[in-house]
Amino acid sequence: MADLTTAQAAGASPPGDGMSAATAARVGRRALADPAATRRRVRARRRRDTLIGWSFILPNFLGFVAITLIPVVAAFALAFTNWDSYNTPDWVGLKNFRRLLHDESTKIALRNTVYYAVGHVPLTLLASLSLAILLNRKIRGAAFFRAAAFFPYITSMVAVALVWNMLFNPASGPVNQFLQWFGVAHGPGWTTSTDWAMPAVIITSAWRDMGYYMILFLAGLQSIPKEQYEAAEMDGATAWQRFRTVTLPGLRPTTFLVLVLLTVQSFKIFDLIVVMTQGGPGRATTVLSQRIYQTGIVDGEFGYASAISVLLFLLVLVLTLTQFWLNKRRERS
Amino acid sequence: MNRRKFLTMAAAAAAAAPLAACGSSKSSGATGAKADDNAPVELSISVWSLASTPEFQALFDAFHQANPNITIKPVDILSNDYETKLTTMLAAGDTTDVITVKNVIDYAGYAGRGQLKDLTSAATSADAAQLSGLASFKEKDGKYYALPYRQDFWVLYYNKKLFDAAGKQYPTNLTWDQYADLAKSLTSGSGQGKVYGTYHHTWRSVVQAISAAQTGGDLLGGDYGFFADQYAMALGVQNAGATIDFGTATTQKTGYASVFEDKQAAMLPMGTWFIAKLLADKKAGKTDVDWAIAPMPQRPGGSGITTFGSPTAFAVNKKARHSEAAEKFVKFAAGPEGAKAIAAIGVVPALLTDQTRQTYFGLAGMPADDTSKKAFKPDKVTLEMPVSDKTSKIDKILTEEHQLVMTKQKSIDAGIKEMGSRVKDETS
Repeated sequence: MADLTTAQAAGASPPGDGMSAATAARVGRRALADPAATRRRVRARRRRDTLIGWSFILPNFLGFVAITLIPVVAAFALAFTNWDSYNTPDWVGLKNFRRLLHDESTKIALRNTVYYAVGHVPLTLLASLSLAILLNRKIRGAAFFRAAAFFPYITSMVAVALVWNMLFNPASGPVNQFLQWFGVAHGPGWTTSTDWAMPAVIITSAWRDMGYYMILFLAGLQSIPKEQYEAAEMDGATAWQRFRTVTLPGLRPTTFLVLVLLTVQSFKIFDLIVVMTQGGPGRATTVLSQRIYQTGIVDGEFGYASAISVLLFLLVLVLTLTQFWLNKRRERS
Repeated sequence: MNRRKFLTMAAAAAAAAPLAACGSSKSSGATGAKADDNAPVELSISVWSLASTPEFQALFDAFHQANPNITIKPVDILSNDYETKLTTMLAAGDTTDVITVKNVIDYAGYAGRGQLKDLTSAATSADAAQLSGLASFKEKDGKYYALPYRQDFWVLYYNKKLFDAAGKQYPTNLTWDQYADLAKSLTSGSGQGKVYGTYHHTWRSVVQAISAAQTGGDLLGGDYGFFADQYAMALGVQNAGATIDFGTATTQKTGYASVFEDKQAAMLPMGTWFIAKLLADKKAGKTDVDWAIAPMPQRPGGSGITTFGSPTAFAVNKKARHSEAAEKFVKFAAGPEGAKAIAAIGVVPALLTDQTRQTYFGLAGMPADDTSKKAFKPDKVTLEMPVSDKTSKIDKILTEEHQLVMTKQKSIDAGIKEMGSRVKDETS
């Protein structure tokens, strides 16, 4: 993006080069009179155009700066202080980060966050891709089923969490009754069990998110040229071979986007867990963003909460950069 | 003016509009003046869910009647967001005059940060001496920053009809063992129509606060051996199926009010705030449960009735615009007139004198038997959770471990041990 803008600006700078014929003619007429004045005028107009452009994004940008950018930058500074949200912060250097190393609850939250991401990302990816492939065919009622698959995503998170909680009820919930048909006499305790609470949350969130990513995959699938499939069929490729050699490579840009979005989303999971398990039982499903909320808003240790936020930020940053790097490398090969 | 110039100006104006709006609201908010005694004052008070918490309006009306020059402007905040919102408001230098203190854990935060006005002289006056729950607002430095106007404590609610049907005597002065046996024998039926002998809500206080109150244990101390008996009782009742299983209650987000009002449970240990709801719901025809209250069950060998409670208080914002009027309101609410106003709608005032008790039991729909009256006069009410700067952290730890013990992920002993070691590690 930045390269592009620079290129455009550079192209436009010698008068006449990057301009339309009409503009060039107009400028040209004046240029005869005084080349220096023309350059000034061109520059002034460019500045004015830029200002108009800025003024269009200004309302949004102001909001972004005030509500997002400043707090984010402030969080980095606050991470090195001891602050109760009211009195002057005390500079404490790396103390908050040293405390991170020994804080069992934060370590558990970090582990749970990674656990959630490792479960949620592949499961959602697989489910949404399968759905997209299934619903990309010309079957009767495809539009209806697509809408149905998208529905969970636009359903209120609170409703989703409440209903799934009931479905997962260990004693009388349909999930365990269903398992009973398959001979599982005592189904797992799901959200009441430390071992099964996280899988329950992962299943719920995959169910909720798959419709959204299915739409992305559907768009990706439709951009793959039909001719490639025809050619593959002519060469006698089986369905599996067509999937592996045509569909998957054709979907690579989409898969990459979905992967990045899913990873970032997984690491900042908060709402579903708060409504579904509140981090319990015990600390079995407490995630980093919840820990940040607890230490900051509830315990009033905003400096330490900022330090945990910085940790979460770095984690997501490193993961996303790695994904970009991997994607680029694969693109080249 | 050509078209482009016009567009530029329009865009600039559009961009500047939100700025202008910010500016003007700020300037109008900066007028602060000290009021003399009879000048009209608009007093702002932060409250939660005004429409469903009638005590606030009752207090405001009574106060306005006594002080016609002061009108009250409630700052209504959604109950669930109250603590978060207030923390943010105060951090941003909000000038709301009176701050309602929802619980002592938050109070510790506000007072510790120096966000509240010192009310020590009012709190140590002769009038305030009778206020129950006042001690909870004494900070480490010996100062008080809030005055309680309401003090709820825990009693045992029971459903008379279900006792009659089972041919059992109404509870009067139970021990915990008697209570557990009674709960088991009152349980009947199965499936949807099952009647539970009692209902233990999922809050940790149902087990922890009552055992701290009755054994004298310290909830902030780090040694939680005193929970053991109470956990054994609670798990015994749960294993016998005499209360809704903890896991089920959590996953289904069971409401204690509906369990009792729908006659699914014969007994319910709960705070006195539930009385106002029972009275209101019966009046509105939402339930016809025939109820009464008894004192909380006690440990064997103890003398008198010990229970626990939690006060609700008003405090004055240090940055209040009308500090004097605010203090006047806080004293009024904690005084006899305030007590009368809220007792009249079924809320238990902190100033619980014989006179307010009389007002209280004179309400339509209140049970009038002696046991109920006795339940309303406990000998000792200890604080649900002592105030300290570590309270919120310890509260979180105890809640997490409580879940593990009640869902049987951990044995009682292991849970108690873990509570102790976590409190020591994480709050030092």
